Amino acid sequence: MKKYILAAASAILLSGTMTFGAYSAEVKSIAILTPEEGTDYGWNQQGIDAAKAAGAAAGVEVKIAQGLGYGDVRPTLRELAEDGVSLMIAHASGYNTAAPEIAEETKVPVAIVDTPTGLKAGLVADYTLSGHEGAYLAGRLAAKMSRSKAVGIVVSGEPPSWNSQSAAFAQGVKAESGDVKIIYAVIGPAAYSDAAGGKRVTESVIAAGADIIFGQGNGSSFGMLQAVETTKAADGGKVLFIDVIGDKTAIDKGFLLSSVVWNIEPVYAAMIADLKADTFGTKSYSIGLKDDSVKLLKTAQIPDDVWAAIEPIRADIISGTIKVEPIYEATAVRALMSDVKE
Amino acid sequence: MTGLFSEVFLGALLFGAITASVPLLLAGLGEQMSEKAGVLNIGIEGMMIFGAYTGFVAAYYSESLWLGFLAGAVGGMVVAAIMALLCVRLGLNQIVIGIGLTLGFEGLTALLHHFQFSRTYPRLPAAQATVIPLLSDIPVLGPALFRHHLLVYLAVLAVLVMGYIYRRTQFGLNLQAAGDKPAALDVAGVDVVRTRSIAVFTTGALAGLGGAYLANVGAGIFVPFITNGAGFLGVVLAMLARGRPSWVLFGALVFGLCLSLTTAMQVAGINMPTDVIQMIPFLAVMGMLLAFGRKSSLPAALGIPYERGAR
Repeated sequence: MKKYILAAASAILLSGTMTFGAYSAEVKSIAILTPEEGTDYGWNQQGIDAAKAAGAAAGVEVKIAQGLGYGDVRPTLRELAEDGVSLMIAHASGYNTAAPEIAEETKVPVAIVDTPTGLKAGLVADYTLSGHEGAYLAGRLAAKMSRSKAVGIVVSGEPPSWNSQSAAFAQGVKAESGDVKIIYAVIGPAAYSDAAGGKRVTESVIAAGADIIFGQGNGSSFGMLQAVETTKAADGGKVLFIDVIGDKTAIDKGFLLSSVVWNIEPVYAAMIADLKADTFGTKSYSIGLKDDSVKLLKTAQIPDDVWAAIEPIRADIISGTIKVEPIYEATAVRALMSDVKE
Repeated sequence: MTGLFSEVFLGALLFGAITASVPLLLAGLGEQMSEKAGVLNIGIEGMMIFGAYTGFVAAYYSESLWLGFLAGAVGGMVVAAIMALLCVRLGLNQIVIGIGLTLGFEGLTALLHHFQFSRTYPRLPAAQATVIPLLSDIPVLGPALFRHHLLVYLAVLAVLVMGYIYRRTQFGLNLQAAGDKPAALDVAGVDVVRTRSIAVFTTGALAGLGGAYLANVGAGIFVPFITNGAGFLGVVLAMLARGRPSWVLFGALVFGLCLSLTTAMQVAGINMPTDVIQMIPFLAVMGMLLAFGRKSSLPAALGIPYERGAR
């Protein structure tokens, strides 16, 4: 009798373990939350498109909550958790406080951005992505093409991802030519939708001599683009714009020089795989030139000989001959710009 | 100081300061009239953003900035009509309705933008400036102050018009009474609800015009949430101004100049956290509050719905 009881207990324990294992590996749906609509040719659109692609590849349903603004997203997170999603991707640095709280409350895993120290096994993962390698290439490109020998960096905030790109752009400019001035300006503390501010600050930077603008700023980047389109450089010529994350070619009027384009799909695919393997929240994710998850956009504004000169630099970064380390701290970024003083 | 500070750069900074000031000036003048009449118009942000949207749509399709400004004013008045109905006629809580209107119209315009423009992001050409002869030739100040769109000069003129209305007209007195002693105004045979409604509609028109200027001239494009709190700054300016339109102009200019100062400091490469630099405009407003606002008094019946015979 004792033998049968032990056998039955073992069977129950084993089946329970197997059931738990199967349950933990099951990913039927994921959700992504974005502050603005997924049609911005930038951060929000790339995030949503990547989530859709990763979901489709893994056979996972993707729920999209977009245009949520930069306020409190706790109600939306709770609603999605109640809907039974297996992962909530909080695609804005402004959601970094709320999302881990709701993850603790509902036990539904969340992915947050710009918080590398926020990892929590099984519950919180971080994807502090940086296109710094691409931004370095953009800096080399800008320095090669600037007529005035002055380039501008305009940002609508200083989150780590953008800081690393601003820094790498400045490093690229300096590596190409020490004579090129870098003019750095932040529109506001969180001026992501301040298109008028983007236009005003960009016009000032152009007036200070820049003829190429490296712009980072969700909705405000359209104001930067507008400034570039309606303001002449000091020599009376055209000012060109280098965008980040997305590809604005479809709405370009001939002023888009390039873009540091991100593909976040491999990151989300890795998250889904980690959920299935019970390794979620144990490691950081990155993007780079090597797998084309970061790439510099080729436009008609870039002469073939200049592009040909950029290609070997890209190869050197991939091979490790040129090392571009990400710099996330705003203070360190500003220090890089200090040599604009005369 | 660096060699970057050329005449062109300083001119651009000042020009940017004026451009940034105009929406605040128009919103502040509008809010001031509402407050004088006893209506605390928190919904002004909603009026601005709807004015920005309708103004941009009209300017884009008609290719006329003036039609855009007209549509912006009408858009602001549409939101004002809701405010007037709910708060002035029906006597509902002005703060709650104001917040509701702001959030509602931020959402509505984001939705409309999504369906209309989110794949194309159309942009307007640069606004044609009205050049003031001789004055515009003054170094630095000339291009910065005297080469703006005509609406900028009209906005400054509106300060004088408002001052005249408040000091010299019966309607100005009625507004004052509607805000301080509405019952006395009623006894005098003047319709309090009508007076307050006219004030709210005027606020809507001015705020909508400010929003349209922001989108059509300030940015050249409409994007969701573009007003970025400009309406709320208008409320602050109106409260600081203690009923004087010229103080609204002064406050708006100080804020605009401080915005440009933040850009100048960054371009100069001043080694200071940008967060600190960008506090300057808001510190300036708080400084103004400390310096001038301590003795400010708001209308006695501000925020209180008027009901005839109520005690």
